Amino acid sequence: MSKIYILVVEDEPEVLDVVVRDLSSLEETFPIEMAVSVKEAREIIAEIEENGDKLGLAVCDHVMPGEMGVELMIDMQKQPFTERTRKVLLTGQAGLDATVEAVNHARLNRYIAKPWDPEELVKIAIDELTTYVIEHEKNLLPYLGILDAERLNEVIRSRGTVSDH
Amino acid sequence: MKQKKSQRPVWLKTAVGLILGIIGFCIPLFVTFTGLSFAGHITLGIFLMAAVFWMMEPIPIYSTSMLVIFLQVAFLSSQSPLFSEAELPGTEIQMVSEEIWSVPASAIGSGDQVFLRIGPRSSEAVEVEIVQAQNDTVLIRGNFEEGAMIVSDAGHRLTGYTPVGFSVFFGTLASPIIILFLGGFMLAGAAVKYNLDKNLTSVLLKPFGTKPMFIVLGLMLVTAVLSAFMSNTATTAMMMTVAIPIAAQVAKEDGFRIMLALSIPIAANIGGMATPIGTPPNAIVISALNAQGINIAFGTWMILALPLVAVLILAAWGIMRVFFPPKIEKFKLDLTSKFQTSPKALMLYFFFGLTVVLWVTEAQHGVPSSMVAFLPIAGLTVTSIMEKEDIRALPWEVLWLVAGGIALGISMENTGLAVWIVSSISWDVMPQIVLLLVFGLVALFMSNFLSNTVTATLLIPLAVSMGTSGIAGDGFNLIISALLIGMACNMAMLLPISTPPNAIAMSTGFIKTGDMIKVGLVIGFVGIGIALILSLFYWPLLV
Repeated sequence: MSKIYILVVEDEPEVLDVVVRDLSSLEETFPIEMAVSVKEAREIIAEIEENGDKLGLAVCDHVMPGEMGVELMIDMQKQPFTERTRKVLLTGQAGLDATVEAVNHARLNRYIAKPWDPEELVKIAIDELTTYVIEHEKNLLPYLGILDAERLNEVIRSRGTVSDH
Repeated sequence: MKQKKSQRPVWLKTAVGLILGIIGFCIPLFVTFTGLSFAGHITLGIFLMAAVFWMMEPIPIYSTSMLVIFLQVAFLSSQSPLFSEAELPGTEIQMVSEEIWSVPASAIGSGDQVFLRIGPRSSEAVEVEIVQAQNDTVLIRGNFEEGAMIVSDAGHRLTGYTPVGFSVFFGTLASPIIILFLGGFMLAGAAVKYNLDKNLTSVLLKPFGTKPMFIVLGLMLVTAVLSAFMSNTATTAMMMTVAIPIAAQVAKEDGFRIMLALSIPIAANIGGMATPIGTPPNAIVISALNAQGINIAFGTWMILALPLVAVLILAAWGIMRVFFPPKIEKFKLDLTSKFQTSPKALMLYFFFGLTVVLWVTEAQHGVPSSMVAFLPIAGLTVTSIMEKEDIRALPWEVLWLVAGGIALGISMENTGLAVWIVSSISWDVMPQIVLLLVFGLVALFMSNFLSNTVTATLLIPLAVSMGTSGIAGDGFNLIISALLIGMACNMAMLLPISTPPNAIAMSTGFIKTGDMIKVGLVIGFVGIGIALILSLFYWPLLV
């Protein structure tokens, strides 16, 4: 079974560590990859694709040296491999223009303002990953214990993908 | 970046399963078994291959069923290359003196039989006593008519087997029991589409109040009722959406969380026994009995099964109360029912109610339940309640799985394979009750690890042939033994892999495997015990 990754892109190492720590409860099922720049993020995405795995969720800062987070997200939206990846912008300084661009061109799924509430971040990650697995995975059972079991069970009921035998 | 895990175990398991299955198929081609017809050998090969594939699952279980039907059509039908041109060689039996006949030595089959040639393609085995064997001829004692034709070559591929047309094997997919299931699937599919199942649950749960033990009892009863008419799995998934918000209000160390998550799959598994359409193993039981000319009406099945279902639900409830005593005293249960009132939804309620009433009262009006099943099939599509996409989403693979099982059962019976398998043990020395106990425990054990339907498919033809051949001795009741095996297949709920409802409950993460095993063990043994009691004192009154 191919793995579904979470990618966190953040230029400040301390902040990056905090985000990863907040999401650590998901790491057993969804391995977390870290990038300190958009450039590194692209390399990691390429590597995940090469291994035949998937990228389920990208949590991305906006203001970073070099390319901006929103640019990465717009790019991801253009690539078939990352088009359906759930995209979360985690930022304190994105202006209105950047935000509008992210929503319109990167199909941004969530916007989290810094500073954030760790519980809220996990909740959003679970929610977005639930949407991702519902859209992409045939077998939802492995995710019942970690993601939104109520939504997943509802999909199992209505889709009828698991049947008696 | 971590390296991708090796996929080796997966393909290795697939390869081993495939190879073992193919070996199983080939064994009867190279080994000749005494007393088994040529066609019986082919069927044994198909049986062994299917058993391996069903157990090890190198391919999905429904595709094994399809493969079984394909092989039967290719090798066992009267149109298959093996049988299409074949004709039985005949010779006239010669009378020597009173009751003593002379036949060619080649006409004597294994087990001292000769075959009366009824037609070019059909024969009948007759037991004879060999008086004297000469070079090419044998003198036998037996009752024959003068001038009777016998098969001159007892080893001919047509002896002991009259090939049936290939449409018999294909036709299993349209057999009455499959149509009955299709009707059930249509109703269940429409119920899910219009949220009838959820709304019914809300209404039915209300009277159970807010006390934990009563809520669990309510959940179990509602689950059992719904899963009697819908798939156990879909019912479990739906009830979990009700149970999860409750569990969220309960402290992590409270046993009540375990009880909540465990009560639903248990009740769903048990509820499946309640009606013929509750779960696929029931279809195997009913079709095997149908083949013997025995019809069990929908309502009769319910009357037979309900005591077992009721006692098992209560037993499970009591056991869980002991194992996982709830600490929480009461909690909020947010139940809102909003029945849809669009014309289509109203028509669905009408079709649902009418079909269920007609099913349950089959014994009163005499219209077979599978005929009634076409009411929802036609009714729900004519009214566009079920549309093209909805029909495509029905669990067709379950129908194929059952059809393959029925088809295999046909060949196991008419090639003599089933009788041949069971005749190797002298069953008649065992009392009927011990026999039932053995069958029940074997079924329970197997279906804990295999698909319940597959277990029924492998065991029920054997039980039926024991009854029809008289091997099991007098007093062996065909219906009761088939019922007991079918019920035992549905009592398997020891492990997450035992049934899909168990897998769902387990995946949700409130329970540990140990919890499931504890309750599953008790249910399995209590269930077999109750079923045995019913088969001694209750079922004989009704069938």
